[in-house]
Amino acid sequence: MSISVFQAALLGLFACLASLPGMGGTTIGNYTLGRPLVGGLVVGLILGDVSTGIIVGAAIQVVYIALVTPGGAVSADVRAVTYIGIPLSILAIQGQGLDPMSAEAASLAAALGAAVGTLGTVLYYGTATINLVWQGIGWKAMETGDWKTIKRQIPLVDFVYPWVGHILFSFIPTFVICMAGSQMVQVMKDYLPMDGVAMKTLFTVGSLLPAVGIAILCKQVVTKPLDWLTFAFGFTLAAVLHCNLIASAIIACFFALINYEIQQAKFGRPAIAASATGDDEEEEDI
Amino acid sequence: MADLKKTTDATRNKSYWRWAYGNLTCFSQEHMQTFGYLAAMLPIVDELYDDDAEKVEALSTYSTFFNTEPQLGSLVVGLTVGLEEARANGDDIDDETINGIRAGLMGPLAGLGDSIIVGTLIPILLGIGLGLSTGGSPLGAIFYIVVWNALMFFGMRFAYDKGYELGGSAVEALVGPESNALRSSIVMIGTMVIGAVAATWISINTALVLPGVGSLNDVLWTTSDTNVFGSGIFPKLLNFVFVYLCWWLMTKKKISPTMVMLILVGVALVGVLVGFFNPGLSY
Repeated sequence: MSISVFQAALLGLFACLASLPGMGGTTIGNYTLGRPLVGGLVVGLILGDVSTGIIVGAAIQVVYIALVTPGGAVSADVRAVTYIGIPLSILAIQGQGLDPMSAEAASLAAALGAAVGTLGTVLYYGTATINLVWQGIGWKAMETGDWKTIKRQIPLVDFVYPWVGHILFSFIPTFVICMAGSQMVQVMKDYLPMDGVAMKTLFTVGSLLPAVGIAILCKQVVTKPLDWLTFAFGFTLAAVLHCNLIASAIIACFFALINYEIQQAKFGRPAIAASATGDDEEEEDI
Repeated sequence: MADLKKTTDATRNKSYWRWAYGNLTCFSQEHMQTFGYLAAMLPIVDELYDDDAEKVEALSTYSTFFNTEPQLGSLVVGLTVGLEEARANGDDIDDETINGIRAGLMGPLAGLGDSIIVGTLIPILLGIGLGLSTGGSPLGAIFYIVVWNALMFFGMRFAYDKGYELGGSAVEALVGPESNALRSSIVMIGTMVIGAVAATWISINTALVLPGVGSLNDVLWTTSDTNVFGSGIFPKLLNFVFVYLCWWLMTKKKISPTMVMLILVGVALVGVLVGFFNPGLSY
């Protein structure tokens, strides 16, 4: 299987939309199209193999389930993970003749996705640096003190000029790598046998990497040692009782409700007043 | 006395959408969301002031650095629209007041948004989505697209409007001590779901065989048709061990996620060489 010019161009376009900072905006671009799970669907539709796309996307998603970018510090680039990593993984899985449903296919996808994602941070800094040029145009406009100029330039600076940077740092890299992908996969197959140390290590790394994603999230939510018990509770629900994630989430909500009531009681506020204001707060948190 | 100046719904709508879409489109490390903010305030300023010089001056207020969690940050934009209206009506509000409020809010809201929206809500939605994706079903991705965007569509607009209507008291409700109970409960849900994700979506196995005992994998945990809950030490113990190890490296040893990944490459290589790991594949 190879990727056609048209397919590679579409992947490049989605890379422009999905990056952080992307042309699809934060909510729809980065947090929707940029998530590997959604990207798996999009790439699957473009390449005509939705189910492999989703399986690969899901495997890579686990690694990046907690991609928090505090203050713009990125450890992986979503456009590279999603729109370069997923197509390459699909090619590699088909090239190696692996069953897409197998744990090996998932490991290969996770390892390839993470490698591409880490290298892809270059693209992130590239786009952000080019944006300095557009911002420079914006500052010039502000300095003229002429309202008509400002009114014309500011929206251009924020919505239009950044496309140039994305053509350079999102479209072209995605297009070129996806076009070359099938040859690269063939080279990999020729020179790196599956039972060699290199491939064994690659697959093992792929199975270990999701632990990093989960750990990044634990860093956000575990603030005291006893929080690990909360984590272990959810872990046990799934591992021993075989609850799926919806069931686990419902059980978690029930315990959170109890916690909420206890915390409210600690404040010594009447429960009725608390729940009345509580509703408001809940909405705003979204 | 002249009528009070007030922005129309249409103008606020335009301002909101400019923020909702363009908060990070022209991101740079130097001025992260500044231009998104300027673009959002431009229609507001344009409508409130008659004189071009006044417009330029008012907009210049927003040319200082701004960066926060953009979804929750809608609240700050709404809030400054309210402040700008008050200023246009002659209230004694100067640039320092507005920028003091903006600077004071962006930190706490970033912390709150990163931990609750990005750190808890998104992983829960993705976790459920992953569960629905078994066997390559597109249902999980569709679930995430619909639920996430619906929540943000209403949530961000709600935050913007609340910021505009309530001003400072909207912020109190969010970062004040009384919201702690809610925050800790939401984080609790997140912690449990992530635990479930760790058990469901990681599969770390060892190929090690202990002499006289058998496969280490089976010693850790085995299940069978007659023993569906299984027996052994603890199921998927290696998942837990590796998550804890990575967390420990990142929080206690202050090692970056990228470095941790490289360490895992080393662990995997050594593990493969000594026979602890073996994916057991061939062409």
